[in-house]
Amino acid sequence: MAEVGQALELPLIAGNKRPGDVTNDVMGVIERRPSLLWWGGLLLSVVALLIGLVAVTYQVATGIGTWGLNGTVGWAFDITNFVFWIGIGHAGTLISAILFLLRQKWRTSVNRSAEAMTLFAVVCAGIFPLIHLGRPWLAFWMMPYPNGRGPLWVNFQSPLIWDFFAISTYFTISALFWYVGLIPDLATMRDRAKTPLKRKVLGWLSLGWDGSFRTWHRYETVYLLLAGLATPLVISVHTIVSMDFATSILPGWHTTIFPPYFVAGAIFSGMAMVLTLMLIARKTMRLEDYITPRHIDVMCKLVVVTSGLVGLAYATELFSAFYSGNAHEQFAFINRATGPLAWGYGIMVACNVLIPQLLWSSRVRGRLLAVFVISIAVNVGMWFERFIIIVTSLERSFLPSSWSSYTPTLIELATLLGSFGLFFTLFLLFCRFVPAIAMAEVKGVLHPHPRPPAEADGTSSVLAEVKV
Amino acid sequence: MAWRLPGDNTGYEPVQPVAYSHRLHAGDMEIPCLYCHSGAERSRYAGIPATSVCMNCHQLVTAGKSAVDEEVLLAEEEERPAKRIVSPELAKLYESLGLDERLAPTPGHVEKPIAWVRVHNLADFVRFDHSPHVTAGLACQSCHGPIETMERVRQEASLSMGWCLSCHRDLSEAGIAGKAVHASTDCTTCHY
Amino acid sequence: MHQMTKPKRYWMTRVDRDAPAGVQPEFPTHPQADALATRRAFLKTAGFSFAGLAAADCGSAPQFALPHTQQPELTPGRGYSYASTCGACEAACGLLVTTHDGRPTKIEGNPDHPLSGGATCAVGQASILGLYDSLRLTYPTRGGVRTTWADVDAEILAALGSARQNGRAVRLLTGTTTSPTTSALIRTLVASVPNGRHVVYDPVSSSAIPDAYLVTHGLRLLPHYRFGDADVVVSFEADFLGTWIAPVEFTRGYTARRRAGDQGVSGNAHHVQVESRLSLTGSKADRRIRVAPGDVGHIASHVALRLSMLAGAPLPWTLEEAAVDSAVLDELTERLWASRGRALVVTSSQDVGTQVVCNLINQLLGSYGTTIDLDRPSNQRQGNDNDLQALRAELARGDVAVLIVAGVNPVYDLPDSAGLVRDLERVEHLVSVADRLDETARLAHVVCPDHHYLETWGDAEPVAGVVSLSQPTIRPMGDTRAFIESLTAWSGVPQSAYDAVRANWEQSIYPRAGAADLFSAFWNRTLERGVVELTPTVAAPLVFSGDGLSPVDRVAANAGGLALVLYPKVAMRDGRHAHNAWLHEMPDPVTKVTWDNYASVSPATAERLGVSDGDVVRVVSGDLMVELPAFVQPGQHDGAVAVALGYGRAGTERFNNVGPSWLQARTREGPVGRSAAPFVVAGDGGRRYDGRRITVTKTERRHRLASTQEQHSLAVPGAVAPIGTSEHSVVQETSVADLGHGGHPHEPHPDLWPRDHQYPGHRWGMTIDLDSCTGCSACVVACQVENNVPVVGPDEVSRHRAMHWLRIDRYYAGDDDDVTVAHQPMLCQHCEQAPCEAVCPVLATVHSSEGLNEQVYNRCVGTRYCANNCPYKVRRFNWFDYPREDVAANLVLNPNVTVRSRGVMEKCSLCVQRIEEGKIEASRNGVAVADGDIKTACQQSCPAEAIVFGDLNDPQSRVSTLAAGGRTYRVLEELNTRPAVQYLKIVRRDENESHG
Repeated sequence: MAEVGQALELPLIAGNKRPGDVTNDVMGVIERRPSLLWWGGLLLSVVALLIGLVAVTYQVATGIGTWGLNGTVGWAFDITNFVFWIGIGHAGTLISAILFLLRQKWRTSVNRSAEAMTLFAVVCAGIFPLIHLGRPWLAFWMMPYPNGRGPLWVNFQSPLIWDFFAISTYFTISALFWYVGLIPDLATMRDRAKTPLKRKVLGWLSLGWDGSFRTWHRYETVYLLLAGLATPLVISVHTIVSMDFATSILPGWHTTIFPPYFVAGAIFSGMAMVLTLMLIARKTMRLEDYITPRHIDVMCKLVVVTSGLVGLAYATELFSAFYSGNAHEQFAFINRATGPLAWGYGIMVACNVLIPQLLWSSRVRGRLLAVFVISIAVNVGMWFERFIIIVTSLERSFLPSSWSSYTPTLIELATLLGSFGLFFTLFLLFCRFVPAIAMAEVKGVLHPHPRPPAEADGTSSVLAEVKV
Repeated sequence: MAWRLPGDNTGYEPVQPVAYSHRLHAGDMEIPCLYCHSGAERSRYAGIPATSVCMNCHQLVTAGKSAVDEEVLLAEEEERPAKRIVSPELAKLYESLGLDERLAPTPGHVEKPIAWVRVHNLADFVRFDHSPHVTAGLACQSCHGPIETMERVRQEASLSMGWCLSCHRDLSEAGIAGKAVHASTDCTTCHY
Repeated sequence: MHQMTKPKRYWMTRVDRDAPAGVQPEFPTHPQADALATRRAFLKTAGFSFAGLAAADCGSAPQFALPHTQQPELTPGRGYSYASTCGACEAACGLLVTTHDGRPTKIEGNPDHPLSGGATCAVGQASILGLYDSLRLTYPTRGGVRTTWADVDAEILAALGSARQNGRAVRLLTGTTTSPTTSALIRTLVASVPNGRHVVYDPVSSSAIPDAYLVTHGLRLLPHYRFGDADVVVSFEADFLGTWIAPVEFTRGYTARRRAGDQGVSGNAHHVQVESRLSLTGSKADRRIRVAPGDVGHIASHVALRLSMLAGAPLPWTLEEAAVDSAVLDELTERLWASRGRALVVTSSQDVGTQVVCNLINQLLGSYGTTIDLDRPSNQRQGNDNDLQALRAELARGDVAVLIVAGVNPVYDLPDSAGLVRDLERVEHLVSVADRLDETARLAHVVCPDHHYLETWGDAEPVAGVVSLSQPTIRPMGDTRAFIESLTAWSGVPQSAYDAVRANWEQSIYPRAGAADLFSAFWNRTLERGVVELTPTVAAPLVFSGDGLSPVDRVAANAGGLALVLYPKVAMRDGRHAHNAWLHEMPDPVTKVTWDNYASVSPATAERLGVSDGDVVRVVSGDLMVELPAFVQPGQHDGAVAVALGYGRAGTERFNNVGPSWLQARTREGPVGRSAAPFVVAGDGGRRYDGRRITVTKTERRHRLASTQEQHSLAVPGAVAPIGTSEHSVVQETSVADLGHGGHPHEPHPDLWPRDHQYPGHRWGMTIDLDSCTGCSACVVACQVENNVPVVGPDEVSRHRAMHWLRIDRYYAGDDDDVTVAHQPMLCQHCEQAPCEAVCPVLATVHSSEGLNEQVYNRCVGTRYCANNCPYKVRRFNWFDYPREDVAANLVLNPNVTVRSRGVMEKCSLCVQRIEEGKIEASRNGVAVADGDIKTACQQSCPAEAIVFGDLNDPQSRVSTLAAGGRTYRVLEELNTRPAVQYLKIVRRDENESHG
């Protein structure tokens, strides 16, 4: 209790900053020459990305047969990765929109990069539905457009069409939201820009921001409206993704619990990914003062909550299967937990339900390395959750004659690797060229009147307390 | 050139190896379409007539009337028997069968078909069958346009799926010549 | 879209009877030369009566259309069928060969044929591919180099001449020839040389049967078994529904008899199979008795003894105790005795003694004249192993001057091939009449390639009095010559096959027919109908002589040791069709393994040997050794190791990289499977296929068996067990008793929602009688031929990517020792509420107004969502562009069915092309489509008549009446998908065999 009390009194931004310092610190990251760490990271990511590109090119040129799929298992890595990335893409908008509406001031330090993460994750996600097609070059048939075929429209009954709309909308709004939030900082960059060209371009991008009251007023209004618009999307996207499965008749897919289950899972995995990235960014870009243990602490709590939700979902699934009295349904879950992919089920439960429970302890939450490891575990676990749901249900459905098994090919592994490559390449570039922290917003939550240096040490000692 | 959807060849009017005139044969001479395109009522393909079918008439008719009359007059003046006049277009016909100018088979000849240029091309995945359309009493012109007025055959309709469907829908409503017809709009009517 | 094609291909596809004689063969002998012609361009050219010179883009560059110069008498673009006779095996079933623009594209059974009816088997269906085999020998060779027929004939005539002068031996070695003309010509040829003899052997011998009849009836003959007249059938090892003598005819009779009764069930019918391995026939038996290999003789003797007691004339036999529980034998015997005159006992044993005992049993049961016809004997097996032995002795002595080997491949078929090769090399003139350079032809000095049976005139008399004609349906693809013509040439009076056949018919067949009209009329009538029935000239009736009969002893030392059982596989038979990819890819009806033979062992034995599926084992007997993958087969006797014949043929290496080639594609080495022929025991009294003692040891290697069914259904948990009597079972059983009272007609689930679909016109549906279905898989291949289903190769099959639209699911019930088998043809169920239709984003699969679930290839983008959501898993995805670059093989493609490209989903269409054709034909004739006018390919080929297709809107149609019957059910009905395909329950006639 005492701890919590102290935590609440903590300033959101450590290091006794003045607005000027904030600008210097954040812009510094961009203006300084990139660290070796950054170069190393970029190199790794680009290599991964290239590997993925080669794999996808080969697969598109040769055929989906280069994946390990078969007549029984029509989806595996492709849709798993798709759902996984969409899930990751959730935290961003959640933090920026919902927490904004809930007046959670602590979000200011993380929302910028969280939103960027969202965008990049959705980009990664969007690739998979495209390349998993037998004839990707005809993907535009998913769009309803006037045609000379009679005309022939799309099948609005099909969840894949819902997906198409849900994801494109989500991406648009997230991008817009991110950009609007970026405008004041772009203006700052413009003002600090050295070369006239830079100044011109940034001038365009910042839409002639002049910092006047009117500008600020408009900005706040738009931002609020967008937040309001974005909020339902956070829920809708994954709800709709979950319907790809929920509306099917496959035992293990066909269940009404999926929408909340998937949304919870998405926020869960998203938060974990934010944590992972924040902890990296914090170290590599020396932003300890902006992303303080308190931020980590709050996000850890969110992770614990969502982990609980996910765990509840797992239990409910099993119960409803047992309670359904439907032999196929029951078998689907017996097979999921004890069948050929039992090991995967184990990983999923361990990483998503058991390990996160450690975060109940403030000690663990304070140990950043531990948090980092846990956040990685959650990411892994959530990937496996999707894999297990998709593959186990397909492998053994109604007719035993068609039961089969699935093993990924090198091409698929390379494609997964590639998607991570793409994600981190984009993220690292973002860190370099855009203020990773929303300066304008952070300035808003600074301690109104900076204290004399004497107390400053006090603050750090409080920090030390939290660390313990 | 009007703007068209890709794959729409409306107005395609290629030059043919033989300057064959539907206007003359189907129009003026009123030769029924099915005389030459006999496959249309029995088969999926209307078919392009074999050279032998042309010979049914052109065994005798070897040139335009005016040219023949000219030769006759000339022959009378020169008091000699009239030569057989063979128009250059029909010569191609005889060549295809390997006949000499007296229309007798040349020794050791090889028959070569005439390489007509196809005007109406459907995509491979469309299965169009002429016979049910003909047996339903549909006029050739309703898809091929006023062929009997064309010197050179031109693609009149777009032959797009929408074009097929609209006709199938209308005829199922209206019927053909008062006779009710069921023109199915199931996909597998054309795609299988 | 369209690739450039060379104009000369039009001349090739322009095929046709109207092409002047002596022109080059219309098909490329080496298709690779024409590799530019890809399948799409091919379909275009083949589809049109004139060929299209396809160019880069339909829009701009012109496509040419080349008409005939002389109008053909047939309408281009229409399919025509010609009555003919199947040459795929000696059963000689009647055929109707469908041709499109001069290309045979499909084989169907000839409904007028008294033996085969409209049915065919998988092998017959597939045999059409052999016609277009690009590796066929297309010209005569001499000393291995191409030569002319004149040259060949000169050499052979010279050889025969010299042999004639100095009385050297001339031997003609052939397989069974059911053709009267060929036999007559052979007789003439053989008679024309002083020391000439015709030796006949069957690659898989049945010579013990005629030998036994020589003992019991004083005449060497193969009787005509009439399964259609037998209520109780007891088979000792004979796989009469799968591979034995005439499976199509036998299956028709057998299933028809079992259907005789209300609701298509005969309560009297009962079938007992006594066998060591689990055969297709065994899988249908009402009662299956597992015995050690070769033990059937002893058990048959017990049955004979018991019967003789019941008959009141006990045999003076004292028998060692049988390996089978005597209660079982008592029951069996009483059942037989109770149905005297309606019983039939057969055995495929190559032990003459066993065959003799079998004859005795049939005599006691009064089968002769009722279920066994001796007046109209069968010609389907004429092999005589004693003659063969004699010939081998002659060869060993080097006595033979001229040996003509026609239509058989002794070097492959016979054991001790090394010795045979040595001997053959000493023959002065070795002439081979083969379709390719097979193991024997390679040794021949002169090879005279025969026509494919679809290229030539011919005839057949499979059973005395049933004579059929076969006529060419295409001009010969190469410079080959009909065997008939070769024979006439070598007898000095060269004749065309047509003249030879016609002449022979005028002399010998026409008189027997006793037809009132002229021969020409009779000829034309027969040619159109394809077959004629003659009243056989019955000699003095044969009488059974019971003297000198002795029982067969129990096979010694069965305990512990392993004995080999060699058997012909349903698809591969004796291996003569080993170059047929369709047959290799056809899953074995029982094991579901493709592209291999294997050593199958019982689960207990497998455990003892520590092997599982795919472990390579070394099978050793004396100095013979073969390494094969092991396969665990429930229901097999623990002492038996079963290996299929017909594999390991030379040249089948061609299939090593069949199927798509990509990064992780797994290719194979060596021929397809391994040959087991060396293990055949060639002793006096015939070649024997069982009983050879062997040792089996496990090696460290593994060989991936390409099976279409991974899951061993005995391992499926009870809750979702496939076979049972509950309404949730996938395969539902009932019993004769249950049918008697409470065969309730099928009621669909009540539904709150209004019906989505009205069916104003037709509503197509299908019923499949699981009680009749034997799993013979003729339908599987028929469907593959009809619908241009690609061959994907062993690697893809093992990846569960087989493309067959119609598969046959095999389920087991019971335990490893006493296993019950169910065969369930599974195809698109054409659900009224189809899960696939709802989820397709682009409307590529939709419901038609006639109840079909339509798959529109050109609209499909390949999300595979439909396949995921299909509870029956019948949708097939084109994972690759499956290779179709063999232009010759492409000629078999059905021009009425699209060849699917990469990335699209496909599945059973209920042969929509036939439906459309049928409707168009009817409208052309101004009549309504009558029930039975439209037959799906699977239905047409089915020997068991298990599949019925028709209009459910027509209450009189056969399919409607069957669907209304008490045995009907729908698979996974609880899902309320409302399939248009309905199944008729299996009837368990033996209380011990029922489940659930």
